[in-house]
Amino acid sequence: MSQAVQFYLSTLLAYIGVDFIACWALNLQFGVAGILSFCFIIFQAAGAYTAAVLTLGPETPTSFQQYFGGAHLPFPLPVLAAAVVGALLALVVGLITLRRLRRDYQAIVMLVVSLIATLVATNATGLVNGANGLSLVPKPLSKGLGLSPYGTTYQWIFALVVCGIALVCYAVVHRITSSPYGRVLRALRDNEQAAVAVGKNPLALRLGIYAVGGALGAVSGALLVEAISAWSPSSWLYPETFSYFAAVIIGGSGNDLGVAIGALLVPVGFLEAVRFMPTIGGPQFLGALEWIAVGLLLLVFLWFRPRGIVPERRRKYPAS
Amino acid sequence: MHVRVSGSKWRLVLAAAAAAALAATGAGAAGVAGAASKSSLVFAELNPFSGPDAAFGPEMVAGCDAAVGLIDHHGGILGHKATCKGVDTHGDPADAVPAAEQMIATVPNLAGVIGPSSDEALATVPILNRAKVPMMADTGQSAFTHTTSQYFWRISPADDVKGYAMALYAHAHHETRAALVFGNTVGAQSDTVTVLKGFKALGGKVVDNVKIALDQPSYNTEVESMLGKHPDVIFTETDPATAATFFSDLKQLNHTHLIPIVGSEVTLEANWVQAMVRAVGGKTLKSYQVGVQPYAPPSGAAYTTFNGALHAVKGFSKTTIAVYSTDPYAMGYYDSVNIYALAMIKAHSTNRSAFNRDITAVSNPGHGKVVVHSFAQGAKDLAAGKSIEYVGASGQVDFNRWHNSTGAFEVAGFVHAGKIRIVDVVSSAQIAQLSSKR
Amino acid sequence: MHAFIAALGFGIVTAAILAIASVGFTLQFGATNIFNLAFGSTMTASAFVAYVATEANLGLWGAVVFGALFGTVFSVLLNRAVYLPFVKRGARLFEMIIVAIAVTLLISNIIQAVWGASFFTLKLAPTPALNFGALAFTRDELGIIGVAVAAMLCVHALLHHTRLGQAMRATATNPALARNCGIPTTRVIDVVWAVSGLLCGLGGVALVLVTTSFNPQTGTEFIIPILAVAVLGGIGQPYGAMLGAVVIGLMTQLSALVISPEYKQAVAFVTLVVVLLLRPQGILSEVAEQKEVVA
Repeated sequence: MSQAVQFYLSTLLAYIGVDFIACWALNLQFGVAGILSFCFIIFQAAGAYTAAVLTLGPETPTSFQQYFGGAHLPFPLPVLAAAVVGALLALVVGLITLRRLRRDYQAIVMLVVSLIATLVATNATGLVNGANGLSLVPKPLSKGLGLSPYGTTYQWIFALVVCGIALVCYAVVHRITSSPYGRVLRALRDNEQAAVAVGKNPLALRLGIYAVGGALGAVSGALLVEAISAWSPSSWLYPETFSYFAAVIIGGSGNDLGVAIGALLVPVGFLEAVRFMPTIGGPQFLGALEWIAVGLLLLVFLWFRPRGIVPERRRKYPAS
Repeated sequence: MHVRVSGSKWRLVLAAAAAAALAATGAGAAGVAGAASKSSLVFAELNPFSGPDAAFGPEMVAGCDAAVGLIDHHGGILGHKATCKGVDTHGDPADAVPAAEQMIATVPNLAGVIGPSSDEALATVPILNRAKVPMMADTGQSAFTHTTSQYFWRISPADDVKGYAMALYAHAHHETRAALVFGNTVGAQSDTVTVLKGFKALGGKVVDNVKIALDQPSYNTEVESMLGKHPDVIFTETDPATAATFFSDLKQLNHTHLIPIVGSEVTLEANWVQAMVRAVGGKTLKSYQVGVQPYAPPSGAAYTTFNGALHAVKGFSKTTIAVYSTDPYAMGYYDSVNIYALAMIKAHSTNRSAFNRDITAVSNPGHGKVVVHSFAQGAKDLAAGKSIEYVGASGQVDFNRWHNSTGAFEVAGFVHAGKIRIVDVVSSAQIAQLSSKR
Repeated sequence: MHAFIAALGFGIVTAAILAIASVGFTLQFGATNIFNLAFGSTMTASAFVAYVATEANLGLWGAVVFGALFGTVFSVLLNRAVYLPFVKRGARLFEMIIVAIAVTLLISNIIQAVWGASFFTLKLAPTPALNFGALAFTRDELGIIGVAVAAMLCVHALLHHTRLGQAMRATATNPALARNCGIPTTRVIDVVWAVSGLLCGLGGVALVLVTTSFNPQTGTEFIIPILAVAVLGGIGQPYGAMLGAVVIGLMTQLSALVISPEYKQAVAFVTLVVVLLLRPQGILSEVAEQKEVVA
């Protein structure tokens, strides 16, 4: 396998890991808890910025980037810090929106939060370097392993590390969804009034899962920025949330394996497949075609198979 | 956890993954080693073709297609035909990285890249450099002014240099109070730094710096506030919609007069001009606005060849041709491909690391070199054993040791649809002098 | 003071466009409870139809007529072909919103696939500005204000002086009851979508007349200010929407005096969030309880 192909495949593998984590995170928020988290992408962005800033170190007079804070933390500390930031951000957003609003209003407010976040990040100079974004983030493991970050060995090791972290995230997600907590959330999602009648506190329960989803979303962002060494507002415009939504819905919302399949199909498989297509009608046409296809897939699946490829399994509980 | 996925579904997923893996492995690029005999060489256009900067991509297509059309017509490169391929980066680094990796891994006979743009350069330049792919970048970011990437080349001036040119022109016209009206995008904001610095260094005062939100239905408040500070010149770079709205608001609020406008190269592009003509009128635009762009006079042998090549591309509509025939970036891309082609001929090789070194040999001025203005001329002279200096449609190229080329700037004004005229030239010496002032 | 009056003048133009669009949006949302987020992209699509009309040298009237016509027909078809079938199937409110998002993605990207991503201008002659003291308007802007006023009067007349309007109000308030009273709710809903689409098309053409230059993404983000206005005024309340349009139109313009101009868009965003959190029923409405979607 030539070097170039190895780079491409190892990058894809890292992206697969990142998208798995992101889709599981969104699945927690949307599939399990039923929250229309239309601002999901900001958690990934927050994680990416946090990890970038904590790996880049504080601004120096000669650096051409202006941002807030900074430290030279070794991997995996920036990732853990990102998780914390993601959880906190989710708590803030959740506290504002998850109260008595009807669900579609919640969704709109979250969408607007995403737009406001993009506006602030782009215009507040000195926060995260505005529209230019952050770049030249040092590759995390190269110093520790003594490997050149430009070699294929490093790439594969990093990709495997990402997959390892993805497995850890999966374990976390699985624990939650198959625990009593998960059960309560699904009950809340399917029949809120009944759940409340039994004495469950919807806000607290939802906030909790929203925060975990936010933390995991942030982890995906942190790993992504470590993989590509750069991050800018154009990477997290509001339609990106819908690409993940499509993955979750198509794969099977509420089901971790389904969502993983959705992640393979939509953000990874689909978008990569378009790159291999011959340039019919010009490359601009192809770019628009991707989103047309996402829209169509969403409609088709919502119509024919709203539960997705791998539906949430119906759980039976033994009669007491 | 026991999830029942029907056996056939699993097999499908696995088969698809296996097929993809095999396909990717089999398509390993010939790449660095040099093209297989008689196959087409590919110049990749690594730029946004979708997303907010989707307009960048087609600009590259115009330049590249014009160039390869002529190259193929005149015998190709060492017996190979040339062709262009667009690689969409979506305008963001997260999508650009896999796009670049995929391009390197799967495009057979990848000869060189035009691009990347500021949207993705910082993430992709290291990748391209590692894979030894020459790139003629269209990013203006100052991060690359002293780059050490051997395969990075920049024939269009960096954003900071452009700013100095704008300041110099305004100063020459005795304008001393400037207002800056720049959109809040990467490209525009990086231009403001040196406009500010340069204008102040020349003794001018910046009375207002409006960082404008794009595509709003009205800017009257910003205009009012700016008018209250009495600027005598406006430096600007925004997209066409924003400009049209802002300046028509200005015209209305300022008793049908505008204030002299000095814009970046964006303000000479057909879309911008068209929107402004509709918004403030052609006569007003002519009297008040000039744009500063790399010196690429739409005249002379090189330009005629470029223009002819553009007209000859199959499938370009009249509108497309009209839009790009005065676009210095399209000319720059056209020249980039020609430079690659001539470098390959000089090096007698399509091996990327081999001909990369010859890029300066065919483009920088030097003692005893013959100046050529087209691929055909250059190829002929190289075959005759001469040393050439390619001076193309975008003007003279002189790469410094950081592979940056800064030429002169022209200050041009609108005449009528599709035509601009040069009113002034700012030399690179003037710019160098200003940039060294503290 | 001059700045304030000028802001007022410009605010009125923005308010006029917002009014046309948000009255259309709120009428439809009030009657059907479907969050047609594709409204913004339908505006863009209507603008492109107007563009085709001007390229065919049909002038301003051609642009307006064809743009409005397209908006009308397209909205009715959108409901019939996409939303209605999902609703009949029993789709919940939040599934509908994802359907709406999918439709938005489709519309704006089909426009981009067909016309490309660059900027376009309607092929019309530039119009001179007319001065009224401190205010200055172009002929187009006066026209838009005129159209907005006329549209509001027509909507008022429709709702309160026709049987159809009565039927629309009844359906919006209590669809089941309306049906039981013999009102042909399906046909009434069609009319609601048609009126909403007409206003959407007009709004789209008005928007690109004012911004002069537009691209395939122009209308898509306009949905947020429209939502802000509709929510501020109270869902389903056309007069509320008119009031909201004036408030938000003016506030957006005046905000640039106080905060940094690049955050202008944030005014509509923040208003929307604040209103939804504090008083989701808006200024004029009484009730904002969760109703189910209406077919």
